[in-house]
Amino acid sequence: MTPVEIPVEKWSGAVREVTLGSSYGGGTRGSTVSVGGETALPFLGFEGAMPHRPAIAVEVQDMHPADWSAELQAAWGDAMDDAATWAQKAVEAGADLIALKLRSCHPDQGDGSCEDAVRTVERVLAAVPVPLIVYGPGSADKDNEVLVAVAEKTKGEQLALGLCEDKNYRTIVAAALGNGHAVIAQTPIDVNLAKQLNILISDMGLPLERVLMDPNTGALGYGLEYTYSVMERLRLAALMGDSMTQQPMICTAGEEAWRQKEGRAEGDVPEAWGALAERGVAWEISTATTLLESGADILVLRHPASVSAMRDALDDLTKGA
Amino acid sequence: MALSGLQIYKLLPQTNCKECGFPTCLAFAMKLAQKGTELDKCPYVSDDARTALDAASAPPIKLATIGAGDRAFGVGNETVMYRHEKTFVHQPGLVVRVKSDAADLADVAARVAGYSVERVGMTLTLDGLAVEDAGGRAAAYAAAVAAARAAAPGLPLVLMSADAAAIDAALAGGAAAEKPLIHAATAANWQAMAEVAKKHACPLVIKVADGDLDGLLELSGQVRGAGVEDLVLDPGATTLAGELAAATQLRRLALKKGARELGYPLVAVAAAPTWQAELVRATQAVGKYAGVIILDHFEPAMLYSLLTLRQNIYTDPQKPIQMEPKLYEIGSPTADSPVLITTNFSLTYFSVAGEVEGAGIPTWLLVADSDGQSVLTGWAAGKFDAEKIAKTVKGSGIENMVGHKKLVIPGHVAGLSGEVEEELPEWKIMVGPRDAVDIPNYIKNVWGA
Amino acid sequence: MSDTSTTKPRTAMASITFTPSGETIEVPKGTSLLDAAIFCELDVPAPCAGQGRCGRCRVRVASGEVERRSNAGMTTDEILEGWAVACQTYAGEGAIEIDVPERKKEKVRPHGHAIAEPESLPITCDYLQNPAVRTFSLAIDPPTLEDQTSDFDRLCRALTQQHGIEGVRAELPMLRRLGKDLRMANWKVSVTLEMRDWVYGSYLPPRLIRIYPDAFPHASMGLAVDLGTTSVVAYLVDFHTGRVVDSASAYNKQIACGDDVISRIIYAKREKGLERLHKLAVETINDLLEELQVRNGIELYEIHEITVAGNTTMTHLLLGVDPRFLREAPYIPTLSAAPKLVAGELGLSANMLARVHILPSVGSYVGGDITAGVISSGMYATDKLTLFIDIGTNGEMVLGNKEWLLSCACSAGPAFEGGGVRHGMRASPGAIEDVFIDDATLEPTFRTIDNAPAVGICGSGLIDLLGELFLTGIVDKSGHIDRNAPTQRVRVFDGVPEYVVCWAGEGGAQKDITLTESDVTGLLRAKAAIYAGFEVLCASVGVDLADVEQIFIGGAFGQYLNVEKAIRIGLLPDQPVERFHFLGNTSALGAFAALLCVSARLEVNDVASKMTYLELSADNTFMDEYTSALFLPHTDLIGFPSVSAALAARGSGNGNGG
Repeated sequence: MTPVEIPVEKWSGAVREVTLGSSYGGGTRGSTVSVGGETALPFLGFEGAMPHRPAIAVEVQDMHPADWSAELQAAWGDAMDDAATWAQKAVEAGADLIALKLRSCHPDQGDGSCEDAVRTVERVLAAVPVPLIVYGPGSADKDNEVLVAVAEKTKGEQLALGLCEDKNYRTIVAAALGNGHAVIAQTPIDVNLAKQLNILISDMGLPLERVLMDPNTGALGYGLEYTYSVMERLRLAALMGDSMTQQPMICTAGEEAWRQKEGRAEGDVPEAWGALAERGVAWEISTATTLLESGADILVLRHPASVSAMRDALDDLTKGA
Repeated sequence: MALSGLQIYKLLPQTNCKECGFPTCLAFAMKLAQKGTELDKCPYVSDDARTALDAASAPPIKLATIGAGDRAFGVGNETVMYRHEKTFVHQPGLVVRVKSDAADLADVAARVAGYSVERVGMTLTLDGLAVEDAGGRAAAYAAAVAAARAAAPGLPLVLMSADAAAIDAALAGGAAAEKPLIHAATAANWQAMAEVAKKHACPLVIKVADGDLDGLLELSGQVRGAGVEDLVLDPGATTLAGELAAATQLRRLALKKGARELGYPLVAVAAAPTWQAELVRATQAVGKYAGVIILDHFEPAMLYSLLTLRQNIYTDPQKPIQMEPKLYEIGSPTADSPVLITTNFSLTYFSVAGEVEGAGIPTWLLVADSDGQSVLTGWAAGKFDAEKIAKTVKGSGIENMVGHKKLVIPGHVAGLSGEVEEELPEWKIMVGPRDAVDIPNYIKNVWGA
Repeated sequence: MSDTSTTKPRTAMASITFTPSGETIEVPKGTSLLDAAIFCELDVPAPCAGQGRCGRCRVRVASGEVERRSNAGMTTDEILEGWAVACQTYAGEGAIEIDVPERKKEKVRPHGHAIAEPESLPITCDYLQNPAVRTFSLAIDPPTLEDQTSDFDRLCRALTQQHGIEGVRAELPMLRRLGKDLRMANWKVSVTLEMRDWVYGSYLPPRLIRIYPDAFPHASMGLAVDLGTTSVVAYLVDFHTGRVVDSASAYNKQIACGDDVISRIIYAKREKGLERLHKLAVETINDLLEELQVRNGIELYEIHEITVAGNTTMTHLLLGVDPRFLREAPYIPTLSAAPKLVAGELGLSANMLARVHILPSVGSYVGGDITAGVISSGMYATDKLTLFIDIGTNGEMVLGNKEWLLSCACSAGPAFEGGGVRHGMRASPGAIEDVFIDDATLEPTFRTIDNAPAVGICGSGLIDLLGELFLTGIVDKSGHIDRNAPTQRVRVFDGVPEYVVCWAGEGGAQKDITLTESDVTGLLRAKAAIYAGFEVLCASVGVDLADVEQIFIGGAFGQYLNVEKAIRIGLLPDQPVERFHFLGNTSALGAFAALLCVSARLEVNDVASKMTYLELSADNTFMDEYTSALFLPHTDLIGFPSVSAALAARGSGNGNGG
């Protein structure tokens, strides 16, 4: 019997390596996180390397998110009242990174000042040793204002700043460029739009080793298949040598899964849906796993049980690699 | 290997006789390449061409049918590695496993058979029950299988035992008529298992350990040599990484190397100690090439997630999911809640519904039948026009639900407002924003103002 | 509106008087002023067909009650003066007086350049051996008491004896006057015959078109018409010599009812809309006929045959066939080959018995203009893989060779013809057609058509200007204007950044002429639609754009396209310049070939039946390619090496991504 000849794809390209956090030159991190660098499709150790295991970030907000699912509120409890405490608990739960959303700066959410925002970021930096992703409040003008202030005060920490979108990226990219940070480029579930934003950011002079791309997650049952295919196509293009698709991908699986009805509705749903306690986590796990398989390098999660499940999954997926 | 439209065209008569129902031979060839029509529709195709085309169109992964009757399901016949290339065709069967000596065997069987959820207008159900031999006498196993059949009539079965005699007894006891999948022939028992599968004409799993593809190839040759052709493969990997590697390699061998010996659907035993770990394994198996997925936990939240995932992944990327056109209640809308209208392209619906739901604004959302097209495409194709909007409003009964008569149409079709107003003279037509993200702001600042 | 049933409660009515024409009409309250004006057949322009988007259908409400639903783009002063957008303004009750401004007749030559007149046939076709129309001199034996043969049989007998022509047919209008005509001419006549009728590919015997006293001088002419959505071109052809004697062109009068085919289809749905569109098409051709008649001293009845090549919508509208199903899935035309028609039936002012041939179409959006183009380009007879492109309001393209032909159409919109662009205009005197911007100063240098004071920018000027703005980094790859560009020429107006290409006063210009960021978006969409068409067409048969051996550019606009500059913005593929060939107005040339030569007509039919039409709206990959092309020059820079090199050489902010 002749042995089976295992078909191995010969890829010419590789995903760029992006490192978040720094422990020198202004950086105070106890650990850094590098992602990317893959030379094959996700977890296919037999044909290429995945030098860095995908990282798990936990989302933390700078104000108690009263509109979050009851299940999440129960899981984090009072820690949610303080971003630094919450971040500490998240690290205990297994977070490699903290994704801090400066929501209270939003004009509709209290319109917090840049000083407040900087203070929050500094407190979280002091509370945890892991690198930070910092999201603006999600209103273009305020994002620019807040992220510039944060970028300047945290020079050298090598944060990831988000979100850069095609209509609003110049200010954030400039702030990252001048202060040694990385950026997150988000585009709406489309291969070409993702490439285009990478090109525009690169044209501004920011090295692509400091750009993460967020192809915009659709949750399980809410467009996940679009994200899945767009990510597969982006990753295939990257491996085939298309330079502008070679950014590591970050996916907000937690946010998307938990904002759907499946992550929130307690009673008044069919029995076959299962109880909210299991359902929300199931939705998040399934969304996150699917995204990992299609090329996610950083998963931003919300529930500690999902963090634990995805850590186990990653152990199993990287075994023998 | 599949032929391109142009390659097929060169094999056709090129007379453009139109008898196939297509305007030209090239149009017919392009449709054939997409497997959208049958070669037999061409009355003038030559024998040489037929031979060449038949050879090219034989499925690289053989179809296996599990079960008999209404609930039987087929797996295999897949033609691509990635769903964006072309749709995945036969969604994996989700099967729940129960031990033959379990006290609640009949109960589990009935629950598996009866489980169903609705999603975007489709009823999603589980596909089968696996009865795993707990060890012991063949007759005991046969009795357990009979009990399962009685509790869940017509539900396809997977018979799991290393003991060919036990399988034989179960099949002889009546299960054979239902064409269950036999799990599994191994290097140790393949002769006996092949004998049983052949005798009862049932599909057979061949199983190795730890993703040993050399062993699988050898076993495939042996079992087929013994006359069994309906095979399903179990590479037997134990880690997620191992399963992914084996599944990927087997798919590539079949599609790219034309390895007929390994051109069969796969079974993934996703069972794990916790439902969370099991969900991860099964999630991977849905996307990465499994034909049958065996689960141990009857956890509704996990099953609902998996059924939804399977529906997502097996959606034809060329034909997006359509929402049922009707009036949707987002939150608990009242007589004072806003009324929005959009099209029945699922992503359009999800973005609009997601925004208002996320912002906590109870809303009446009218979904018009645009054949699954987005607002702009639907408008351009004449499928989302004033007439359609008026028809949707009139047919929905919304006028009895609200105290106001204000209808918000998408900003992309602002130009229709006059016409809609003519069609719905009692309504005030308001032009909403173009992008869904701007809806909450619009409702807060414009709608209520 | 004529509903007089008595059971219904009486609707409130308005009485609208239009000035200066004086037309008055009674309409129900709530009728739009545009509908009322159309009903009175007034000349109110409606380029967007009354969707409230263009704001061009302006009228002034002199008195009376109206309801305004939108005042698109008008200033407060204008509204106070009573100006209103007719399609968005609705009649109230009672007497209303509406002032319809008189339209300045645009006196322009389409595209501002002389139309190339072909000297000879564009394809191999010996029209003398197989002519469509011929004229014969006959001396007929007068009837006597002994020879009692009927007039018609007598004529036929003479034709057989003197010219060997058999089986001639005549239609009733001809027979009604035959007896008189023969006797008036004293039995010495010239007869004009349509030699072989061309119907569904089969031959019919010769048909009598005209009888004329042989003693008088007489001409035998034909007309080949390119019925475009925007402009209409007619060649006057002498059947004796097979030469084009003269040509004329004009804007399609239907422009008043919509700029593009979609708008016209929407317009046709209005009451009397279809009728008006049909009339305007006929009028446009008749005006050209008249112009040619006067200039060449011929009589209209000497026009013995007409061929018309037009897109499917134009063909439907010329025939007065409702085009609405062209736009509704699955996009099926009512007809692809027109029935046997004569000029009199359509109201064309040629000889009433002149045959009118409409060149067959392939699909809803690939019409007779394209089959004409394929014929005149010769691509249906070559081994080389050829791409034929007709860029106009619609971008239509055909890929293939003598073995197969695959076509598609993509809606580019009117941007390249100056439509939907703030200072866009058609190519006429004063249009900026050529621009260069200095890298260092960001100052432009430009040229206008006829060196007249600048009044706007035409299609070729827009392509040029966009390319320059891009190479100098004023516009980034996604089409955004850099608000911080170090030049006074970039400014923000109404929140939208724009580049001033010509200041008021510069070279006598009356106003600032600018290109806004919204204009850039429009141009990007237009070029992306066309480029995506190329990609999808090639991909659907599994060939690469680089495999295409020759690229033929036809259509009215193609004549003024600069390949290098079009590549720079990603409108055309970045292939060696020698692969591109300009063929002129291929639609008119195809109509010309079909007019002269019966074999060309058969070939047109053959091409139409063999061509495969790819419906892009049924194809998701189109949207993907479209998004990919919605970038300067394209998201895949690798496919545009010459542009990458130009960017590097100019050293603008638009680097090569790193």
